[in-house]
Amino acid sequence: MLQSLALLGVVGLTVLFIAVVVPQLGWLGKILSRYNARNLVVRWPITLMLLAAFIMQVGIVVVMLAFVRGLEALTEGSSIPGNVIVMSEGSTDELFSNLGYSDISDVERLPLVLRDESTADRKPLASWEVYVVVNQPLPDAVVNSRKFGCKFASDSLRVVELPKASFFEALAAVASDPFSPLAAMSRAKGPMESAGLMAGDEVTKYNNWPVASHDELRRVMMGKQSGMITLGYMRDGKAGEGQFSVDAIRVLERARRFLQVRGIDSPETSLKVHGFELLAGKVFSEAGVRTINLNGSERTAVEAILGEGIARTLGEDVDKPSLVEGDLFYLGDSVQPFVVAGISSTSGSTFDSEIWAKQSLVGRKFGKNSFSTVVLRTQGAQEAASLSRELRDDFKKAAVRAQTEEEYYSSLNSTNKQFLYAISFVAAIVTVGGVLGLMNTMFAAISQRMKDIGVLRILGYSGFQVLAAFLCEALILAFIGGLLGCAAGSLADGFTANSIISSGQGGGKSVVLRMTVDGRIILYGMSVAMIIGLLGGALPAFNSTRIKPLDALR
Amino acid sequence: MNWEDLDGRFLGLVDTPRHALETTLVQFAALFFFVTALLFLPRVWFYMSFIVRNLWRNKIRTFLTGVATMVLVLVVTLVWTVLSFLNLVTSEKASNLKAIVTERWQVPSQMPYAYATRLTEGATKEEGDYSIDPKQDSMTWAFYGGTLDPANRTTENSLFFFVMEPDRFLTMMDGIDELTAEKKAEVEAAIKAMESDFNKVMVGANKLRQLNKKVGERIKVTSLNYKDIDIECEIICELPEGRYEQAAVMPRERLNRALDDYERKNRKPHPMANKSLNLVWLRVPDTKAFQAVERQITTSSEFKSPSVKVETASSGVASFLDAYKDMLWGMRWILVPFILITMSLIIAMAISIGVRERRKEIAVLKVLGFGPSQVLILILGEALLVGGLCGMASSGVTLWFINGYLGGFKFPIAFFPTFMVPEEALWWGPLMGLGTALAGSLTPSLSACRIKVSEVFSRTS
Repeated sequence: MLQSLALLGVVGLTVLFIAVVVPQLGWLGKILSRYNARNLVVRWPITLMLLAAFIMQVGIVVVMLAFVRGLEALTEGSSIPGNVIVMSEGSTDELFSNLGYSDISDVERLPLVLRDESTADRKPLASWEVYVVVNQPLPDAVVNSRKFGCKFASDSLRVVELPKASFFEALAAVASDPFSPLAAMSRAKGPMESAGLMAGDEVTKYNNWPVASHDELRRVMMGKQSGMITLGYMRDGKAGEGQFSVDAIRVLERARRFLQVRGIDSPETSLKVHGFELLAGKVFSEAGVRTINLNGSERTAVEAILGEGIARTLGEDVDKPSLVEGDLFYLGDSVQPFVVAGISSTSGSTFDSEIWAKQSLVGRKFGKNSFSTVVLRTQGAQEAASLSRELRDDFKKAAVRAQTEEEYYSSLNSTNKQFLYAISFVAAIVTVGGVLGLMNTMFAAISQRMKDIGVLRILGYSGFQVLAAFLCEALILAFIGGLLGCAAGSLADGFTANSIISSGQGGGKSVVLRMTVDGRIILYGMSVAMIIGLLGGALPAFNSTRIKPLDALR
Repeated sequence: MNWEDLDGRFLGLVDTPRHALETTLVQFAALFFFVTALLFLPRVWFYMSFIVRNLWRNKIRTFLTGVATMVLVLVVTLVWTVLSFLNLVTSEKASNLKAIVTERWQVPSQMPYAYATRLTEGATKEEGDYSIDPKQDSMTWAFYGGTLDPANRTTENSLFFFVMEPDRFLTMMDGIDELTAEKKAEVEAAIKAMESDFNKVMVGANKLRQLNKKVGERIKVTSLNYKDIDIECEIICELPEGRYEQAAVMPRERLNRALDDYERKNRKPHPMANKSLNLVWLRVPDTKAFQAVERQITTSSEFKSPSVKVETASSGVASFLDAYKDMLWGMRWILVPFILITMSLIIAMAISIGVRERRKEIAVLKVLGFGPSQVLILILGEALLVGGLCGMASSGVTLWFINGYLGGFKFPIAFFPTFMVPEEALWWGPLMGLGTALAGSLTPSLSACRIKVSEVFSRTS
């Protein structure tokens, strides 16, 4: 609040200076304003360069702040004032919490917990959850390696792209993904190419077994631990075969991502407690599984509700903008597919990056048989605070740690604060660079216009009026540059990016954030511009008052 | 300190190269002498005297341009420090690899301690399998976090222990060669003491300050991740400032005995008893050995519940950095280019103004016989000299100040405690300065070449 007021003060004072002080100079002020404006036009190359510098500097600051604002918005948007999150005692994050069945059933019966009136038995509005992070190899890195192996058409096994393994391709790969361990492989020929495959080939067999889909091929190859793989393919109507070592894939397999999976007991209740709705599809069934037809055979798939963000991320793996209802994906080492039952309206919250499925299925699958948390819905913020206090101080049936969701998510702001400090540091240095650059230009402008200043002084303009004129010139430039910089930086608004939020006490969540440029950020951007204008213009302007008219005209 | 980020948290302590300040200073001095030697070349000297005099004539402009270049080079140097470090730790090594064995699908990794014996041998099954010497080339880690004040837990009163075999601290942990002989002897003595008395621990210097404790004092740690396994121990050694300044080391046997005691008292195993092995480190000589060990472990039926994965330290780190990839992309492709362009613009403005002011002088030079190329060299030279020298000074001072004085700079990414400016920064600075100076001054320099004597003097007359 104080910061915002201070920033508002800087911008306000500057605008006040331009709008009020300069007109007070009367007709002299008008002449000076015209003189300055004309000068900016006459020296247009320098003016343009200065504006470009402003756009760069202010634009950078706005984009960086939009990133942090996106993180803040996520943590703010994830909590509901009436919710209380309960973990096991001593846990600092739900990732490390272990709650037993009896602990939760005791907790949810407390009187402050609301009941779901739409159900016959008035079930408590309590979401029983198990939270696990799954270490998942990137599908790209396994077989469908766009950079290193080959690229398949998304819906078939036709090879559409093979690497040239050229230096430039390797360079492009490293540039686009410099931190991937795969980058180290970029100079080697891809496993597909080493197996003799060419673009246009259709892969038909894996170790003499027919394969029907790209994903199936990926799955069977992932399961292979050692030895050679033989791929059968069709080329121009003729069958062919190629072999390569599993080691080539095993190296590629190393690129991974962490997927956040939340096992819930009752999807209807959990959606109500967290305040989400389904955008598409439906909640999963009581069993949490459904039968699907996969390549002509019937299989049981685990039903899942995806956040919009994770649906997009998983969609990219299969060259789709987003997974939709009925699409399949795989988690962990299970050959059992997951099927998208619905997409939830989790945008703007940390849940956007999560996969929800039946607790009893995912808990067992990923080795966590207990619950992580129970989230309880109360009437409002006051009741939530009372309930969390009651659980902390008076509840003796189980050792639990309770906090309101607002407290929990605000504790996850630690990363945001750290990023904000780092960005403030960069912004400060960039501002110093800008101040020096502008000062340089203004000094030059004044030295070029020594004679003009001399004439103005002889005509009766005071030193203060000349100072005001040059300061105004710097501030006008800063104002226009700042506005353009903010406009350029605002282009980042709405872009999504991956990041992590954490309390600084361990754990943390991978999130998909939406970069947000709001009024406060524009104010920051304008403040940076005006500070550059004010500091960069003040010293040269002050210097101009010390010029003696006769000396200047000599 | 984020003690619970079990898998990734401390990967940052491995393969985090530090850069010897001495070597850096030698290189810096060599560069300085090289530049100085250049000054004495007669032809260069001729131009240089012109350039320096021109720059000296307008000291304020030279100063402001130089300082602006320096501060912007500072930002880019810091950004590249982070990026190059991450690049380094995620690049696969060809020899002397460290492999990490962790739980295959879950984060944080929590394996049964029963896995330790076979994993540290490399899970050899048959003759011809690659065998690891467990005493020399392996290390097990468990993470034990606790607080000295359970009623009022803060970051300051919390501490994090590597629970490990004490003797491996000197043989398997990185950065030990950076210890002074005296400190190394002290750590060796402490390790011997820890092997005979499991209640002795080592604590990082910074953490000791935060805890307000000294070597010789006893502390009671209430566990946060091993509920009801509280440890009373004696601090016998202070780990030096740097990568281990926040950490602490506890003998593995201490945790094992505490878990056994719990089972005896409660007549049931502790909930974490079967999850008390977080990481196993294995050192292998080359990629071939790594692949052999990886195959031996991942194909073994002994490690199926939970199943495990073997990866190199670099790929382990890369996985954790995946969540930061957009931010790193932004730093690399938005922040740095924008700053470099800003630097070019600042230099371009300074040079443009200079050329405009000196049109008459340039015309006189042309009358005196200077060709366009010579004028070009003079104008470009001014920009290059300011850019190059200020870039070099900025990166040199940054390196000296950050590495030598601050002991690295903190940036909130992944689990890396601090970043040290690499020696390469000594080249980045001058190159950035020269590159942006060239880009910024090329157009004004060319316009200076095209100045026509007749036009300048006709205006004057």
